[in-house]
Amino acid sequence: MKILIKNATIVNADNIFEADILTANTRIVKVAKDITPPEPVDEVIDAKGKHVFPGFIDLHTHLRTPGREDEEDFLTGSQAAAAGGFTKIFCMPNTLPSIDNEGLAKWIFEESQKIGIVDIYPVGAITKNREGKELTEFGALRRVGCLSVSDDGVSLPDSLILRRALEYAKMIDILVVEHCEDLRLANKGAMRESFISSKYGVSAIPDIAESLIVARNIEMAKYLNTRIHLAHISTAKSVEFVKRAKNEGVKVTAETCPHYFMLTVDDIEENSFDARFKVNPPLGEKKDVEKIREALRDGVIDCIATDHAPHSHAEKELPFEDAPFGLIGLEFAFSLTYTHLVKAGILDLKEIANKLSANPAKIVGLSHCGVIQEGFIADIVIADLNRQWIIQEDKIRSKSKNTPFIGYQLYGVVEKTIHKGKIVFNEL
Amino acid sequence: MEQWTKKHILGIKDLSRDEIETVFNLAASFKEISQREVKKVPALRGKTVLNLFFENSTRTRTSFELAAKRLSGDVVNFSVSTSSLAKEESIIDTIKNLETYHPDIMIIRIESSTSLHTLTKYTQASIVNAGDGRNEHPTQALLDMFTVKEVRGNVENLNVLIVGDIMHSRVARSNIFGFQRFGGKVTVCGPSTLIPYEFQNLGVKISYDFDKAIEDADVVIMLRIQKERQTSCFFPTMREYLDRFALTPERLRRAKKDVIIMHPGPINWDIEISSSLKEQVHPLILKQAENGLAVRMAVLYLVGTQKRELVEVE
Repeated sequence: MKILIKNATIVNADNIFEADILTANTRIVKVAKDITPPEPVDEVIDAKGKHVFPGFIDLHTHLRTPGREDEEDFLTGSQAAAAGGFTKIFCMPNTLPSIDNEGLAKWIFEESQKIGIVDIYPVGAITKNREGKELTEFGALRRVGCLSVSDDGVSLPDSLILRRALEYAKMIDILVVEHCEDLRLANKGAMRESFISSKYGVSAIPDIAESLIVARNIEMAKYLNTRIHLAHISTAKSVEFVKRAKNEGVKVTAETCPHYFMLTVDDIEENSFDARFKVNPPLGEKKDVEKIREALRDGVIDCIATDHAPHSHAEKELPFEDAPFGLIGLEFAFSLTYTHLVKAGILDLKEIANKLSANPAKIVGLSHCGVIQEGFIADIVIADLNRQWIIQEDKIRSKSKNTPFIGYQLYGVVEKTIHKGKIVFNEL
Repeated sequence: MEQWTKKHILGIKDLSRDEIETVFNLAASFKEISQREVKKVPALRGKTVLNLFFENSTRTRTSFELAAKRLSGDVVNFSVSTSSLAKEESIIDTIKNLETYHPDIMIIRIESSTSLHTLTKYTQASIVNAGDGRNEHPTQALLDMFTVKEVRGNVENLNVLIVGDIMHSRVARSNIFGFQRFGGKVTVCGPSTLIPYEFQNLGVKISYDFDKAIEDADVVIMLRIQKERQTSCFFPTMREYLDRFALTPERLRRAKKDVIIMHPGPINWDIEISSSLKEQVHPLILKQAENGLAVRMAVLYLVGTQKRELVEVE
């Protein structure tokens, strides 16, 4: 299949320019002005007035398969991803059973190929059954294609296991992704410890539950001279640790999620403790949101992930303290970022291609991805930045609808998503 | 009386000073009913009141039940712990099921904080909070303030000291908001592990020194301390806790002569309060219980007799 995209305004991490793009099979074969293809193409797309980004890459998503296919499956997760401009998504192993062996990982790769909408990369568990005790077979996981491992949902409770995991992962060349939360200190809290949690007596998690483990993980990576990726950074204090570590040359990378640059504990109170606002790490204070935005601007935080976490309606309609953590994000991450960071003047437009495409590819070691360039994989998003849309529950493609952003009016509509040279999402 | 507009009583946070005074005035007149030969008025005749206790309670449940009965409401008790409930159906389904009987008032006690905010979406009935997690126990604060008003003749501008496990206490939160509405200065006193740091932003003073804090107090509210707080390391031993935070005759001597000592009950004698003070303090604590009935009648009357518009529920 050959696609010619005409008159595109191409947004890459390091430049914005006008050109045509020609794809053949799974690759971008030419990026130049006024391409006249030597032979007929299957599809010509006029992208005049549109912006064209490299396909987005989500290092952190939950597809609930196997085990909770009632909440999300590979098909609905792929459709939601493509609708949000994502072409590669990394699904976390907190499934039932957990993705802690090559067999399950291989099956996920195969299912993803069969569906063929986006590439689903399983994230292997660090420890068997995510129990924090024995390492999984990183070598076998790497061999079937896993690029990262994580016990996401919990931190490694044992610093010695963390050490072994980082040292061993270095040999295998697989990325360790740590969920940073001191579980004892978090003490089954439901929201951030704050004035509001105190006022309403809601069980709470202090912000240092995150930054204590961030600090531990950084110290460990520094000591062992290994890389480590910190998942869903949400607090100002964590940002300070990451910033200092990067200045010292520690090989640490970090992600945050749209809700951490958008929402605070005040939103929980204003929405009468609606459990759609319950997420872990919990929503922080205004100063955290400001610091996260600053860290995205300054490059202290490398990328934006969704932490897409589908939950059934029945689970999320429960009272706040009883409901599970998590919210969905694949379909909104781009528009939230564009509207609230780019249009708000915090990030340059190129930074979208950096934070959602180029950096995630680099962090996880995906070659020939994340940039619109000749020879690279033809993962392409065509978006209209002038069009607005409203997030409506009945339009959500994900099987679960648990988002706090219902009713938000956003700029930036994903019109087409091309994955490996095939149009996998067409809005019009 | 001004027209009562609050559909639900979820917390003292949501009540104005005028609204609280309305409750007091009504409670005073309802108190008289309980002293009659025939202890009943027809105010809630034909109204269905569900008394839903998803957490253990005998005193509050009985008090609400009796309050509804003295107002001629048809009251049904439903007591089940949420842990056993979880096996059968979700709390939301329970509410939806009960909603099919068209109740007028649901009195609810529940384990998790702010649950009632969520439950209001699933019923047409007025919800009265009988204690939701650590959040609020509004009728307890109303009866505490009503008792103070009755004893002292006023409830304005008082120094109120709340002693014990502040962090886990819905009684503390409701009383803070309540007394503050009347210009009160509230001090919370207890082990530093059991007072959230953020409480200073509620406008309360934090003290760890009961001996000193009791000196200025007009009202002292002793909270019940639970033994499991020791095993979860909030304090090392009960002995050390009592040494600092029990109300003893020595401590009471440091207080003002007309200090009012209250306790939401049930009291652990010789833990929160020395049993040697029983004669001195128990009568007033029992008066609290008596007033609780009158205050709950007032609250049920107010939410049960207001004109209501039907709203759509999920």
